[in-house]
Order: sequence, then structure tokens, then C-alpha cells
Amino acid sequence: MGARMIIRLSILVAAALAAAPASAHVTLEGKQAAIGTDYKAVFIVPHGCAGSPTVKLRVQIPEGVIATEARPVDGWKLDTVKGKYASEYDVKGSKVSEGIKEVAWSGGELPDKTRQDFVIETYLTDRLKPDTTLYFPVVQECGQGVSRWIEIPADGAAPAHEGKWPAPGVKLTKP
Amino acid sequence: MAGAWREADKALMRVVAFVAALLLLIGFASEASAHASLVFAEPRDGAVLTQAPKTVQLRFNESVTAGAINLIDASGKLRTDAVVDAKDEAIDVTLPADLPKGTQIVSYRVISADGHPVTGSITFSIGAPTENKPPQESGAGIDGLIWLTRLGLYLGLFAGIGGVFFVNWIAREQVASPVIHVSLIVGIVSAVASLALEGLDVLGLPLSQVLSVTPWKIALGTSLGPSLLIAIAALIAAMVALRGDVTGISRTLSALALAGVGLSLAASGHAATAPPELLTRPAVFLHATSVAFWLGALVPLVAMLRKPRLVLPVVNRFSRAAVPVVGVLALTGVVLATFQLESFGALVTTRYGIILLIKLALVAALLGLAALNRSRLTPALAGGEAAAKPLMRSILLECALAAGILAVVADWRFTPPPRSIIADAPLAVHIHSDKAMFQVLVSPGRVGFDDFVLQLMNGDGTLLHAKEATLTLSLPQRGIEAIERQGTLEPDGFWHVSKVPLAVPGRWHMRIDALVTDFQKITLEDDLDVATQ
Repeated sequence: MGARMIIRLSILVAAALAAAPASAHVTLEGKQAAIGTDYKAVFIVPHGCAGSPTVKLRVQIPEGVIATEARPVDGWKLDTVKGKYASEYDVKGSKVSEGIKEVAWSGGELPDKTRQDFVIETYLTDRLKPDTTLYFPVVQECGQGVSRWIEIPADGAAPAHEGKWPAPGVKLTKP
Repeated sequence: MAGAWREADKALMRVVAFVAALLLLIGFASEASAHASLVFAEPRDGAVLTQAPKTVQLRFNESVTAGAINLIDASGKLRTDAVVDAKDEAIDVTLPADLPKGTQIVSYRVISADGHPVTGSITFSIGAPTENKPPQESGAGIDGLIWLTRLGLYLGLFAGIGGVFFVNWIAREQVASPVIHVSLIVGIVSAVASLALEGLDVLGLPLSQVLSVTPWKIALGTSLGPSLLIAIAALIAAMVALRGDVTGISRTLSALALAGVGLSLAASGHAATAPPELLTRPAVFLHATSVAFWLGALVPLVAMLRKPRLVLPVVNRFSRAAVPVVGVLALTGVVLATFQLESFGALVTTRYGIILLIKLALVAALLGLAALNRSRLTPALAGGEAAAKPLMRSILLECALAAGILAVVADWRFTPPPRSIIADAPLAVHIHSDKAMFQVLVSPGRVGFDDFVLQLMNGDGTLLHAKEATLTLSLPQRGIEAIERQGTLEPDGFWHVSKVPLAVPGRWHMRIDALVTDFQKITLEDDLDVATQ
């Protein structure tokens, strides 16, 4: 085997693995996002709850994430819950103190083992801390049962994979 | 030729690099992905059946590889005769025909296609759920062997290591006594055998299973594991210290071995784990090292009395040191007995107390002899060699008494001290973090079916309003993976979970998830000691 051959093979294997349907958790597409910029959060729902189809997905928008706009999904009803933020944010010259705090898609039916993406457009204020992980707790309601992807590791703990129901998260970077 | 070899080397390096890269990628890939889940079980978790089912069927939402699938029957025994058949997403456990009536646990650890382990337990009952009752006694054959190995271990620790310490620090010259050497070997053999027997006893397995891995692994996980490992290390150190002349190294080794005796016994057992441990563990340490010092002197003294002329300064040295040692022995003994017995009545009403009384009688006789030796027989030694004979006889009698004491004490392995018998009060566990305080009451708090009452409070002691409370219990040491139960909120304001099958004794891991809002939960974890009776 020549060195080039090995490199090609390695790339091939890497590509195959990367393309494999990744996770059984509800996760966010992409590994990191910069604060002080727009952020398109893509929630990947790879399956239902223990075999039962997904009928509702609720996402909580964490503090410091503003200007939220959720994309409709065909066959699903989109609802949002608005409310006051804990603090006031100064964005591009205007002050923002309230907005969407929760997004819910319901009324659809996503069979088990079928992947669907749910998209929320947001702006990450620079009040968020770089080099931390921003978590979006998600409640997945199914025909039978509920999966709550809401486990957030305690401060200082490693971004745990140990939890059974980790909240989807994204690593924050400097602008 | 050399060039060809170099080429081959390079090729090999590339292959190694490729494999390493591949493993790395696979490692990352499996970290990113996650788990299969149990979607169906027949019988379902918690079912009560009139007849024993032939099989337990587990179905997952994706293909799994069976890891450890364990059946713990209603008598608390780990069954090795269940047949596991795994194919794709199905795992079928063919049950043995002779399952006792009551509650059985099937614990599973399976590996998802992506390498992620998934664990859990289901329980079902035949006839009716098991009543609370102590599990069946293990075979008398094993009990006898356990007692014998305990005795052998004591012999090694006290006569063996104590003897080596005496040789190095009191006699200060090698004493030709094969008894010490034999004691050390018996001690090592007994320690190893104890480990296996403890594992068999815990699992309720017959002696024929001694060569399988499980009992050894289980025993190493108990508090006896570290205790016996320390003992073995100390015994080996003492054997090394017994070789050759008395030197600085051998003295250091023998002192370390003596400390090992204390550490080993303080690491496990009824007395060391009696609350308050801050007091009882050091007390056990001092008690054990004092015993080793005293009993260890007897064998070499007998050997040395054969040449009485040389022995007088040694006996005097020992005699001087022995007085404070006996004081420590008595003091720590009284302290430990007080915590274990809790009342004078327990001395005669419990088996533990009666064993202690017999031991005390033997100790009194031993002390009487020691006093006689010190006040009469030792001073007489200065008068002439003829005085050596009575002293020697007296010390031999001391040896016999000491052996009797150890034989009696080894029986304590089978008797819970009174402090742990009165546990008819429910078990209370308090778990605390800065966010929340959970008070957990477990009744009866013993092996069998236990009711849990969860009192959920905020960090400041006010009532925590939860939407759901989930209790998860596991005993991985014994191969029981998470048993999960939802709590129900009752009018008393507490969350109740009834009839949780704590099938076997041990240190269970307890996890409570309180769902505060749809998007937030508070999780606290702690351990729970479940006793047999």
C-alpha cells in the first residue's frame, strides 16, 4: 500500500462515518456558533420516543438568544410563546427586552426512525460567554411517551455525554 | 537485504497509522451517536403472573448486542441457568423451570449498534410479590469454609505478621521458628480463598463456581476486596522481612506489615463501619495492631525460651511494651463494643453479644496468665534456667487461649451486631445540593419490597413544586441495572413510590429526578445501604 492510497482510504472511511445517520439524541447541526452574529439553529430529530412517532416538538430559547424566528414545517402547526427577557439587549442601535421564549411545532406525525430538521433563526447577543456551551432544552412529545432532552451539565462539569437525555447544545466562540 | 527490511518497516508503520486513524474515527463516531431503547417487554415490568413464564422477551428499537443479561430470582440468587438468545433487536431469556414464587429481576446491559451501552431492569412476580424476608442462608459448607479462612487469615495477620514484628523489634535477632513462616503462608492462602468464598456467598453460588470470574470480581468490588488485598500485601512484606538477618530494611518492612494488619481490618467489617466511623475505624486499627503485637510475641517467645540464658532481656523488653499495648487493646475494645451493642442486655440476648461474652472470658484468662508471667515467672527467670519451663508452659497455654479467641471472633462474620438489627425504623437519606434538598424515607429499608417517600424541597427548605418525580435504583456491583419508577404525588405533599424490589443487600445507587418545569429538572444522587434483615 502506498502512502497516497492510505490517505485516500482514510478520507473515504472518514466520509462514510461522517455521513452515517449520526445520533439517536435530538441534536443541533453544526458544532459551534459565534456570539454577536445571526445563528440558524437546526434541530435534528432522528427518531421517535422508544418506537412511537413524534407528534410535537417544543424548544426553549435560552436567555441571551433574541430575534427568534421559527421556520414552519409542512404538515405541522407552529406556535410560539412570547415573554420578557431577563435583561434588555442593545442590538444594532435598538433596545430589545422581549421576544419569543418558546417554540412549538405540533399536529404533525413523524414516524420513528425518520429524520426531520426543525429550524429556528436567532441572533446570539454578545452578552453570552464565549467558550461555553449554549443549551436549548427540547421536549419531544410522541404518540406514546415524552422524551425530555433537557439535561444540562452542572457548571464546571465536562459537557457530559453521561446524561441519558442531554439537551442539544452548541459551542460559543468569539465574534 | 537491510534496505528491504527498512521498506517493510515503513509499510508496517503506515498500516499502524491507518489503523490508529480508523480507530480514532470510530471512537469519535460512536461518541457522537447514542442508544437503543427498550420498546417492549413480555412480561411487562412490574407484572404479577399466576404461573411462571417460560421466557422473558425484550425488544429494542434497533439491533443490539447482548452484554450482561442477569436473572436474580425471588430468593435473591443470581441464576446462571437462564439461557440468553439474542438476535437483531430481540433478546429472549429462557427461564429455568424451578423459579421460586415471588419477584424476579431481569437486568440487561446491551450494546447499541454504535457501541453505546444501554442498561435497565425489569421485574415480574410469580404468584405474588415477594414478602420482606431475609434471603435463604447459603450452604453450610460454604459457611464452614468462610469461618476457616477467616481463622487462617487471623493466624497469618496476628501470629505471622505479629511474630515478624516481634522478631525485628523486640527480639532484634532472627528466631528459628517455622510456625511464623507457616502462619504467613496460611494467611495468604486464606486471604485469597476468602475473596472467592465471599464472592460465592454474595451471589449465592455453589462452591463449584469458584473458578468462574464473576464471584472474584464481585468480591473485589465489596469492602472486603481492598481489605484482603491490603492483608495479602502485608503478609508478603512480612515474609520478606523474615528472610535473612534483622536489618533496617526488615524492621521497616515489619512495621509496615503491622500497620497493614490494622489498615486491613479497619477497611471492612461490622466494627469498622459502625457509626461514627471517624472513631470506630481508628479504634479498629489500634485494636488490631495491638492484638498483632501481643499475640505475635507468643510463638517466638516459646522458641526463645529453649535457650533461656539469652532470653531475659527480650522478655523484659516485651513486658515493658506490653503494658501500654494491653491498655490500648482494652480501651479500643470497650469503645467498639459500646457502639456495636448499644445496651448491656444485648450481651445475653443476641448471638453477637454471647460471642463477645465468650471472647471476654477467654481474654480475661489470657490477661490472668499474662499478669502471672509478668509478676512471677519472668522475674524468676533471673534466678536460673529451671524457671524457663513454667514460663514456657504458661505461654503455650496463652497460645491455646489466643487460638480460641480467634476461632470465636471469626464467627462474628455471620452475626450482625445489635446496632444493625434494630433497624425496623425506616431508612432515612438526606441528599443536598445548593439548588435542592431531598429527604428520602425507605421502609422497611431492608431487602425485599420497599416503599419510598420523597420529600422534595428547594435549597432554602421550602416545598419544591415538581411536575414529576422519578426514582432510579441500581446495584451495578451485583449486576442489577437501573430500575426506574415514577412517583405519584399524594395529598400529604410527598411523592410516593411503592413496592420497589430491592432484591439483594448491598450499597444501591439512588437517583431522583424532579421535573420542575417542562424544560428543567433537578437531579440528585446518593447511595443507599440495604441490609438483609
